[in-house]
Amino acid sequence: MLEVRNLMVFFENALALNDFSMEVAKRELIGILGPNSAGKTTLMNAISGLLVDIRIKEMRRGGERISMYGSIDYEGKDITWTDPSERVKRGIVLCRERHPVFKESSVMENLKIAGYLMPRSHIKKTLEYGLELFPNLKRLRHKKAGFMSGGEQQMLAILMGIVANPKLFLLDEPLLGLSPMIQKMVMDTVLRLRSDLSLTILITEQFARPVLPVIDRGYVIENGILTVKGTGPELMENPEVKAAYLGS
Amino acid sequence: MEAKKPQLRKERIDRGIKVRADDIFALNSWREVIYLVGPRAIPVVGLLVLGPFLSAYSREILISTASYALLAISWDYMMMAGLASLGQSLLFGIGAYFTGILNHYFHLPWFITIPIATLTGSAFVSLLLTPVLRLRGVYFSMITLVLPLMFMRLIEATRILGGTEGLTGLDSFPNEWVSYYLIMFALLLALFGFRRLGDSDYGLIIRAIKDDDRSVMNAGLNVYWYKAQALFLGGCVGCFVGAFSTHYDMFCGMPGFALDYSIMPIACTLLGGMGSFAGALIGAFILVPLAEVLRAFGALRIVFYGGFLAFSIVALPEGLFHYLSRKYHQIERWVEVR
Repeated sequence: MLEVRNLMVFFENALALNDFSMEVAKRELIGILGPNSAGKTTLMNAISGLLVDIRIKEMRRGGERISMYGSIDYEGKDITWTDPSERVKRGIVLCRERHPVFKESSVMENLKIAGYLMPRSHIKKTLEYGLELFPNLKRLRHKKAGFMSGGEQQMLAILMGIVANPKLFLLDEPLLGLSPMIQKMVMDTVLRLRSDLSLTILITEQFARPVLPVIDRGYVIENGILTVKGTGPELMENPEVKAAYLGS
Repeated sequence: MEAKKPQLRKERIDRGIKVRADDIFALNSWREVIYLVGPRAIPVVGLLVLGPFLSAYSREILISTASYALLAISWDYMMMAGLASLGQSLLFGIGAYFTGILNHYFHLPWFITIPIATLTGSAFVSLLLTPVLRLRGVYFSMITLVLPLMFMRLIEATRILGGTEGLTGLDSFPNEWVSYYLIMFALLLALFGFRRLGDSDYGLIIRAIKDDDRSVMNAGLNVYWYKAQALFLGGCVGCFVGAFSTHYDMFCGMPGFALDYSIMPIACTLLGGMGSFAGALIGAFILVPLAEVLRAFGALRIVFYGGFLAFSIVALPEGLFHYLSRKYHQIERWVEVR
């Protein structure tokens, strides 16, 4: 479904992603693990197309020059330089890190903005499904999103991605800043989403413990370089991964 | 593996001297001295030496350019502390009226009125704005925009200080060289003084306030006290321009509060690049003479002027100075990506 080939991203002279290749098949749940500054978010931005937009803005502002090489194929078509809005229409939806929501709008308004391109019946159906998934949000649906807790905002951010009707759902650090209990809940939800909506999900995370057991395959990157890849159980058995991410 | 076409990437590197001499000057050769001093010498030599070679008319334009440049520098400094002022004309007008009062009613000579008006005028404005220092962004701008208009109407309605006619027949400078060198020295002092201040630890606080004032509070600093200081320092420059112009034109009146003095400095700074002071200077030295040249086109002047401004801000949003200094300090070359 998605194929990233030899992707290289430079921020000015710093190399954020070095010759990174990966492929994702339909209905897979793929994890990308790595510490801070490994290039996880850069990869997500490149796949979702935000990098194309950031690049233009930086260029006009005279800031950092971003150079990107390699290619990204989605459903057999090259999308390396496609606009982010076009990619959303084709089904690539990113849920960005630090759960960005429209703080001044209520939960319902947030979800309506996220589903603006979808037909009304679709939104209604997804909302019913989503609010059943997150009963907390149902209770809070008229509250301003900015006043909600981090976990609730994260749930809302995920739901906003779902409303946009993704085929390939990108989750950038969904567990960041959440308590272990909520982390588990978010991961359970991700699994349910995959089975209910038959999504392909790509998830980046620093916390390997809740992620590794559930993923089909995983890639471990450090400093922009792919270090280990394999299926979930394989990674859990890998001594390096064990030492660095599971602390044993 | 099949042979690939080599991929090229443009690389930017700071020049070696820039790396060594960003703040501490460790120079090895005359070439490096020239590299460092050259750009800084342009405004100094240009402003001080150019005067005598110009016609009286061009000199007058140069003086008005320098006035706007000073107002732009004062705006830039206040902006550095996050005070988005739309009221440089408030500073200009207060400085002008303080000078006018001192000269008209107390018959004090220019070398006393200008320093007094600069300091007391700025202190007056700072006190006036102290209650609204807590406001941020657009709200502060609105207050500063309204105040000069309010003062204008106040003078018109109460007919104090000469009313609509203003105070006329004030003392002028002894000769034109005094006025020329006074404003040029003030401009250079403000330019290099503020640049130095901006690089110091004190400037760091000022810039940090704009970035995130709550973090500065967390560092145990009284944000509003520093904001008031920034307002006073920036205000001194603005009031000085007002005081200078009063003696230069031998007149002070309601036009001192005109919107021109608020908008023009902002346009200059945006064109030249914010936060560098040199950008404000460059912007003023492009826009003010340009406005003068375009006078020949009559009413079309504003169209050309606006078009030029819009184009430059879209094409070069970072500002002229930042663009030039980057090109000056960095080498760009193509390297192969492997």
